[in-house]
Amino acid sequence: MVSGIDTALGEITLVLFTTLAPSGVVAFAIMGLFIVRGGLSDEAHRRIDLFLAIPLVVSMVGLVASATHLGNPANALFVFMGVGRSPLSNEVFCAVVFLLLAGVYWLYSFAERPHRAVQRVWMALSIVAGIVFVTSVAFAYNAETIVSWYTVYVPLGLWLNALTGGPVLAMLGLRAAGCASAEGRCGRMLVLCSVASLAANMMVYAMQAFQLPYLENSFTTAAELVPCYGGMIAAFGVLGGAGIALVARTLRDGDPSASREDGDVRGFPDSRRDALRLTVRSAWASALVLAGIFVMRFAFYLMHMTVGLGI
Amino acid sequence: MSQYAFHFDGTRCTGCKTCEFACKDFRDLQVGFAYRKVYEVTYGETTKDSNGCFATSCTSYPLSLACNHCDDPACTHVCPTGAMHKDAETGLVSVDAEKCVGCGYCHMACPYNAPKVDREKGHSVKCDGCAERVAAGRKPVCVEACPARALDFGIAEDMAAKGERAAIAPLPEPSYTNPNLYVKPSVDALPAGSADGKVVNPLEVM
Repeated sequence: MVSGIDTALGEITLVLFTTLAPSGVVAFAIMGLFIVRGGLSDEAHRRIDLFLAIPLVVSMVGLVASATHLGNPANALFVFMGVGRSPLSNEVFCAVVFLLLAGVYWLYSFAERPHRAVQRVWMALSIVAGIVFVTSVAFAYNAETIVSWYTVYVPLGLWLNALTGGPVLAMLGLRAAGCASAEGRCGRMLVLCSVASLAANMMVYAMQAFQLPYLENSFTTAAELVPCYGGMIAAFGVLGGAGIALVARTLRDGDPSASREDGDVRGFPDSRRDALRLTVRSAWASALVLAGIFVMRFAFYLMHMTVGLGI
Repeated sequence: MSQYAFHFDGTRCTGCKTCEFACKDFRDLQVGFAYRKVYEVTYGETTKDSNGCFATSCTSYPLSLACNHCDDPACTHVCPTGAMHKDAETGLVSVDAEKCVGCGYCHMACPYNAPKVDREKGHSVKCDGCAERVAAGRKPVCVEACPARALDFGIAEDMAAKGERAAIAPLPEPSYTNPNLYVKPSVDALPAGSADGKVVNPLEVM
């Protein structure tokens, strides 16, 4: 029987990359919005800057993972020759621009007296680069001949994944930074964004599932390549829903008295134990949501099929 | 520029796979790699009528296929490094191993299942139309090996005079990449893009 499992296992590092990087970038952008908005105390600014490392590391792990699937990484610089022509070159170029901007921002934040205005502009640029990068990942496999990927559901699904995982990961970063905003209206908005994206994405995946039996070549149908697609969508919903519920519970369990004003930092050391508990819970929440996204990215590579003789 | 092309005569091919193994031998390809493959397409059904008589419409036909050195190749379009390139003089598509990063995007995008990443070598490998033999005035080894003379190779205009442009199943519609493969179909051949016939030797050709 023809199966897509070889493709999915062969590209497992890309499954990991496309799971982690988009959510990491969105989390970075959400945390960065606090910087761009301004009005933070020096301590809050410094701690948010510091814990931008969480989404950055998540994105970097994804990128490094993606590089491991290359047959000959020594030729990687030639990838830039295809910028503008190859969707993959565009993706790598956008990744490098984002990580350069975001990485330099993060390093600059360790300066003895970082210039706040420069940081705000730099962060705004990083956020724009991040949005372009996620979009480039969404369209990385936009090739007309790959019939199961050349649909509107693919970029839509990837962006909604990012908007599901990103806010939860951002909550982790904000929690770790001790940012009181994670408790209040901003926290609720992030949870709402994540819930809405999860629900919307389940609908997108369901619509895609209805289309799969009609995508056919002389080997098989796309539906046969992903025989458990319904179960995978359900797993995505359960894992994503559990993660979001867990992070929502941290909102309820957060100490309201610590939420003095937006962007302020929780009192230390009195609430340190609580903060640690909520941060750990947010980490578990992020892991659950990312696991759900991983399942759907695995399904994406399972369903690879060309118009002709490729599966 | 003289674009080269293959011709496949479906009325002559017996599906013996000599072309495939001549290529494997000439290129010294290991298990799991073949630059030319023979796809066995089967369709039809056997039915039993009210009188208990059986009738069948089952049939099968082979298609010998390598890289089609397309006019608008999907592999070169998606290749991030430009390693997968089309020769300006001959139109033959080949891999520059010094540039290839081994990402496998060419394999994913090609609708003719031509390129494949060789993990040991670290780069994509595929049929290059026996470019060296062609430069020496000879034909690709698969063409010369065919005992039924079902394969031919030459200037695209000459091959086009012998058949229609890659318009039989299991091939996709030729409009996707404009392949330089011209086919004289057997009587049972299904039209390009039809999924009514199935490739029944997937383990052999994938």
